[in-house]
Amino acid sequence: MNTQDAKSPVTPPRKSGIRAALEYTGIPPSWLDKRPRLPSRNWLIFLSVTSSITGLYIYDRRQCRRIKQEYIEKVKYLSEQTADHLSWPRKVTVYGAKWPGDEDYDQAIKYFRKYVKPILVAGAVDYDMVVGKRSGEVTRRIAEEIKARRRVDAGLDPSPSQEQLPPGYPFRPVSELRQKELEGGIVIIGRPTFKEYMAGLKRGWTESMEKVDEDERLAQELEMDGRFDEPEEPLEVGEVLSGTEKPSSSALPPSPVLSHLQYRLPSSQPKSASSSPIPESLNSPPAVIPVLPPILFVTFTNYIGFKQIPLMIWDFFNQRYKVRSGAEAGYRLVMNSTRPFNALEPSSQPLFSDVTTPPTSSSRGDLDFDKEAESYYRSSLSSIPDDIEKARKKYYDELVGKLATARALARGTREPTKEEIENPPSTEVELRADRMKKEKRWRGDLEGWNIVRPDKEVEWDERFRNALRVFDDPPDTDLPTVPTT
Amino acid sequence: MSFLGGARSSNPTGGLNNDKIEMAITELDTITDFFNRMVSSCHTKCVGTRYAEGDLNKGEMVCIDRCVAKYNEVQKKVGEKIQSRGAAASGGGFGL
Repeated sequence: MNTQDAKSPVTPPRKSGIRAALEYTGIPPSWLDKRPRLPSRNWLIFLSVTSSITGLYIYDRRQCRRIKQEYIEKVKYLSEQTADHLSWPRKVTVYGAKWPGDEDYDQAIKYFRKYVKPILVAGAVDYDMVVGKRSGEVTRRIAEEIKARRRVDAGLDPSPSQEQLPPGYPFRPVSELRQKELEGGIVIIGRPTFKEYMAGLKRGWTESMEKVDEDERLAQELEMDGRFDEPEEPLEVGEVLSGTEKPSSSALPPSPVLSHLQYRLPSSQPKSASSSPIPESLNSPPAVIPVLPPILFVTFTNYIGFKQIPLMIWDFFNQRYKVRSGAEAGYRLVMNSTRPFNALEPSSQPLFSDVTTPPTSSSRGDLDFDKEAESYYRSSLSSIPDDIEKARKKYYDELVGKLATARALARGTREPTKEEIENPPSTEVELRADRMKKEKRWRGDLEGWNIVRPDKEVEWDERFRNALRVFDDPPDTDLPTVPTT
Repeated sequence: MSFLGGARSSNPTGGLNNDKIEMAITELDTITDFFNRMVSSCHTKCVGTRYAEGDLNKGEMVCIDRCVAKYNEVQKKVGEKIQSRGAAASGGGFGL
């Protein structure tokens, strides 16, 4: 080797033509000598972590797109048919109640829009979205709608007629509208919505159908409890405390304590007497409920809170499962095949309650829809009634002072202090309005919580058994043969 | 924001009242403009560029229904907002 080197110093060994040419172009020789080798340990860690995360993300989103596309292709033929322009498309109603404990009330509707809606749009199904901003809102709305319908059926309210519409407007009689409604359906997103929906159905078909002005009733009730009454002597603490329990224990019937309020009673009594002009025969809940639009269940779990962050991360990389479940639900709805509502023995059956296991552990068929989602509720929710009670007590304790100030200022028994001139304290009227607002909110929240709370069963009525249907997987999932264009 | 009702009621009364005619013309312009915008945006959104057949298909019908409803609703909301702002600015020449 040495002798060879010495003999030919001009041409170094193993220098190929390309190498020489590259070297002469000015590329540093160290670059040309580079051998591929693994980057350092830290680089390896960094690269593998980032690439696997991006990889997971990209893979997931591609799958999402593929799944969505697959279902869209399946239903597309429906939207490509041509129909008479004056015909009405199929229309479904989507209910999305507030998820208990989440301040964002429209999470359920967002879920619908993201995962179910694309299939409905592709299948030419129109939809109407109803959002419950607070728990219990969906229930109230459904109950009101049903009562309105019953009133029309009983002939108490006029059914809509051609005259009420602008001329030339296509008029559809009630029967046709109902038929359309049955062809449509109800989309229920998540367990809380289901509970609210069933509670609303039960309430609507059971309660009497007279029109009740809730605000008016609440105002009367609040008037009765005498919190704004003139104290003969300064209120003592014990009196205030006994007052706090009053609204829950005694509602409308005037208690002897309030006898000095008698002059108010005449105004309220005729109202309660005239409030049920509906004859008893009409007003009793119907024994048979007409067929209701079929229900589509969409499973939905909303993760909230610090402890569920790992689940949220898992979800972020596995959206394809949600896309699939949403798309399947949408597909079921579009294909419009239904099965009867499968409700097993409700827990209130006295016949079996002594024989069978406790109803909480037994399965209740469709009434158990998405039940596991309830285990994701925040545990702090169970204190909602206590929180409301506490807030109420605190408010009423403060109210006494505020009321005294307002009255003193209104009657001029004392001069307003400098501070009060700058920020005038609320007057008695304002206080009343404020209280009304607060009470309404508290009561509404409590009512809502009592509907959706986990230990409460879904409302059920035997009359629903033949009236309700559920969307199911279409029996034949093959694509109908459509000529591809 | 009274669309058709306002136009109809203000039109035939005042004989040859110039102000009223002006107003009616402006109103008509607004409505025409609104309508044209709505048609063009809903058309681009809903109707595909490939005209396979003369009639709308079902998907397009649903889409147009929703589009028009949404457009109207937004228009109404924006109008209300502008009106309330105009009222708040006490007619100080605030307009969009």
